Amino acid sequence: MSSATLFGFSSWLAAQMFGMLRPIAPAPMQPLLGAQAQSATAYLLVGTFVFATGLVNAIMLIWWERKLLGRFMDRRGAMHVGYAGLLQNFADGLKLFRKQPLMPREADPLGYWLAPTAYLATSLMIVGFLPVSTGWVPGVAPLSLLMALALFSFAPFFIFIGAWSSNNKYSLIGGMRTAAQLVAYEVPLLFAVVSVVLLTGSFDLTTIVNTQIKEGWFAFPLILGLVVFFVAMLAEVERIPFDLPEAEAELVEGWNTEYGGMLFAMTTLADYVRGLVGSYLVVLLFLGGWWMPAGQFTNVVNGFPLAGILWFQVKVYLVFAVFVWVRASLPRVRTDQLLQIGWKRMVPLSLANVLLAAVLVVTGWWPLPKMF
Amino acid sequence: MSTPATRPPDATPHPAAAAPGDDIKFTLPPPEPTGVSSLVVHPLARAARQFVKSLWRPSTIVYPYKTPFGKTTERLESPAFRKEVGIRSGAPLGVGEIWDNYRGVHALNVRTCISCNLCMFSCPDTCIEMVTTEGPDGKAKKCPEIDYGKCSFCGFCSDACPEGCLSMTARYTLTTNDRHHMVYSPEMLYTVYKTKLPMNPVRLARPENEDNILLDQDLCIGCNACARDCPTKCITMIEIPKPGAAKPGEKLPKRIWKEPSVNDEDCVRCGTCISVCPKDCLYWGSHG
Amino acid sequence: MSEMWINMGPQHPMTHGLWNLRVKVDGELVIDAVPEMGYLHRGIEKICEYRQYNEVVTLMDRCCYVAGLAWEQLYLMASEQALGVEVPERAEYIRVTCQELQRLASHLMWFAAFVMDIGLMAPFGYGMRDRDVILDLFQSFTGARMTYEYMRVGGVRNDFPVGFTDRARGVMDWLEHRVDDYEDLCDRSDIFLKRCVDVGVLKAKDCIRTGITGPMLRAAGVPRDLRRDRPYSVYPELDFQVAVHDAADVYGRYRVRMEEMRQSIRIVRQCLDHLDKRPGRVMAEKVPRFVGTPSPPPGSESYIVRRGYPKGVGLSAMEEPHGEAMAYVVNEGGEQPYRVKFRSPVMVNISAAREYLVGYRVSDIPAIMGSVDICVGESDR
Repeated sequence: MSSATLFGFSSWLAAQMFGMLRPIAPAPMQPLLGAQAQSATAYLLVGTFVFATGLVNAIMLIWWERKLLGRFMDRRGAMHVGYAGLLQNFADGLKLFRKQPLMPREADPLGYWLAPTAYLATSLMIVGFLPVSTGWVPGVAPLSLLMALALFSFAPFFIFIGAWSSNNKYSLIGGMRTAAQLVAYEVPLLFAVVSVVLLTGSFDLTTIVNTQIKEGWFAFPLILGLVVFFVAMLAEVERIPFDLPEAEAELVEGWNTEYGGMLFAMTTLADYVRGLVGSYLVVLLFLGGWWMPAGQFTNVVNGFPLAGILWFQVKVYLVFAVFVWVRASLPRVRTDQLLQIGWKRMVPLSLANVLLAAVLVVTGWWPLPKMF
Repeated sequence: MSTPATRPPDATPHPAAAAPGDDIKFTLPPPEPTGVSSLVVHPLARAARQFVKSLWRPSTIVYPYKTPFGKTTERLESPAFRKEVGIRSGAPLGVGEIWDNYRGVHALNVRTCISCNLCMFSCPDTCIEMVTTEGPDGKAKKCPEIDYGKCSFCGFCSDACPEGCLSMTARYTLTTNDRHHMVYSPEMLYTVYKTKLPMNPVRLARPENEDNILLDQDLCIGCNACARDCPTKCITMIEIPKPGAAKPGEKLPKRIWKEPSVNDEDCVRCGTCISVCPKDCLYWGSHG
Repeated sequence: MSEMWINMGPQHPMTHGLWNLRVKVDGELVIDAVPEMGYLHRGIEKICEYRQYNEVVTLMDRCCYVAGLAWEQLYLMASEQALGVEVPERAEYIRVTCQELQRLASHLMWFAAFVMDIGLMAPFGYGMRDRDVILDLFQSFTGARMTYEYMRVGGVRNDFPVGFTDRARGVMDWLEHRVDDYEDLCDRSDIFLKRCVDVGVLKAKDCIRTGITGPMLRAAGVPRDLRRDRPYSVYPELDFQVAVHDAADVYGRYRVRMEEMRQSIRIVRQCLDHLDKRPGRVMAEKVPRFVGTPSPPPGSESYIVRRGYPKGVGLSAMEEPHGEAMAYVVNEGGEQPYRVKFRSPVMVNISAAREYLVGYRVSDIPAIMGSVDICVGESDR
């Protein structure tokens, strides 16, 4: 199977699964799957949009991380290909694209080929449920937040399938760690989301952002929730200090040790797509989405959605910069320490946060009094 | 002079180790964790400090690269330092991408090469071969050809060169697609010389007790081979008086009644005379 | 997960070189470890027998690629003893300066690799950056950044350039500040401490039993440093202290190395002061021919026959950045050494891997092996 086919397959999967779910879904789930994508053309358009947004942003995030990490390490990042190295990652991608995909002889072909494809496809599908500005959402769904998080939690299965079928001990240990870690951190992540939902009363991300535009960022009342969500998101997207599944010092490359060429590029891209989605969610849930400083007075976002998109992107990249900042300054924790932090610290904190949100709602202290 | 090791390595500490106050003992436990500050705040603050510091000009070396304003080279070393540092020989180090005393590709001045073979002899990697090339006067002469596929850039050859015609330059790019291109003929080395790259100005500190060429007069047959092959022409054949029949009945040795005389000032101690001597009558030694 | 053997190496990010660590794990727990060496064996000891005394120096830089000058001096101390050569005082001071600069460079490199092993990204850049300054100092007088080929039998190749001592002093001032900085960076990071404290414990008794030397031994509380206990070169005239820690774990090794860097800075400063005051020769006046000067003509058997040749045996021991190294040179009266043998501290330190790995987790392996400071070039030779 050539890498081009795989690449095409993943994009096809992203576009098709998105739309094809609708006819087979039971009636109560119909509203979940979006009202806009009705025709094949619309599916294709949505798929293209999701594909382009996800992949281009992921590649740019890699550049952004390299540049930032360079400065943290007292050097410059990539700087030779393109202006300030902007094209470096495209060149790397091209190089990987040209490589022959090799599979270990003892590996299980089905799982081996399926895992990166499905990992990338499900990661890209999340982008389809995230609004980026007023009216700019490919899949409008009342439960878009739940859908996004449900897709987000698909990853451990595919990672474990890939790890198991690679028939490599490093992959296996990496896969095991992934399963343990992602399951442990799903809980505080979802509890942190619950607090936001309590305040909003809706699972629709557009509604959540609009509430924040009206009432102020959720980061102010739910600062604890923001911290818990951020830390859990660090673990969910497998970044230092929680990058145990691919701790390169002991597990070579973790669960994707046996993947090379385009397959490796796909897993890396999917990692960064998940990083992008994580930053998106942090901004959408806690940092006011595309809310602009003067937005609520001038209504510039409603009149000119592109400004909202740009503002939103700036926020997302800043949140990702914090991811990189943490990566630059903290060492990797150990397996047992990771699970201890997850179950003993994060879960109680997130519960306290839910309690806080409940108190806010019940007592009527929310919305907070306006400052201006 | 290194101190001879007399005590065998053993597990018990040396008596000197028991001297109090001689060593620092950290019996301190590691610092107590201080909560959120040491968990995240301090490391994050430290990283942020470095980030702000390196925003303007990161101090790690970067390679020459192009900016919209032209080619820029940044290095950790300030050019001012390299300008102010001179070498004891008086030649200042240049301000380039790398130091002048860098041991890179050789430069060979074919004109002044005396074909003494010393570079070839001194090469630990046997990457130097003396090949015939055309000298400045059109005559054939032997000059070194260097195989950079083997060269380890140790600089022993340029240290050995008595005339200073083989030196190492700051040129370091050697990438080719064909390993045969790694063999640099004397002409190519002369081309490098003509580019006037900065050449290593540092000379070897030599010991003073260099031996001289001595002659075992009893063995010499006066064949002129040493004087003929001496690269510096410091050997002259001087006539020696032919002894008369010293004892009746004893034949005089069959030889030419000349023997070499070495001018020690001009001699570069290359040993060519010793190696060409058919009778092994020349040897290294000191006068007196 | 049942028990299984994992090959960590020969190509593995943890190994810092080319060797294989076979670990038996039960889930995440290490229950057995077998180090396998020899992947980087280049036969350097045998090649030494076919090279003249000075030419062996080129191999020493390849032998240990993070502390080339230390190994040059180690070999030369033994061969000078075998050849009966006196080294001038200034050359000895230059050598000790190189030694301690090399120790600084090696420890900085270790710091960079160690923090990278436990996942700290940014200090990796700092360690490499500061090491580079020292490499620049090396380049200013040797002409190369890693393969120096600077020392010769009877001294060193050339003197320090004019202005070098001032610059080196500036670097030392700056580096001293940096070492404090790194300690502050690591000691006040909770996760760093959690990864280091009580990990890879190897008590003094076990260290001595397995022959472990260097910072690992000193971190276990044994105050043994060849620079003080069996002084060589001009170390007796220098004022410095030996860093010892009681913890016997990864953290103790880290602290000992950090303190050793401070002591090295102290020694370098004293040497620089001395070099400023006392000019002189850097090469011995009397060095046997074919050894001191780089002109070995063929057909020199007659020379050996006529002149005779000094015969002898040289043995040198030295506190290398990684531990105690030894060199043994037999001179049977030829142009080349008859036999050269080295004792590599890293070889011994790695060989005891089982002692300090068993019982810890897979995640601890990089931290523990990182704290050993591995240079496979010298252990396999």
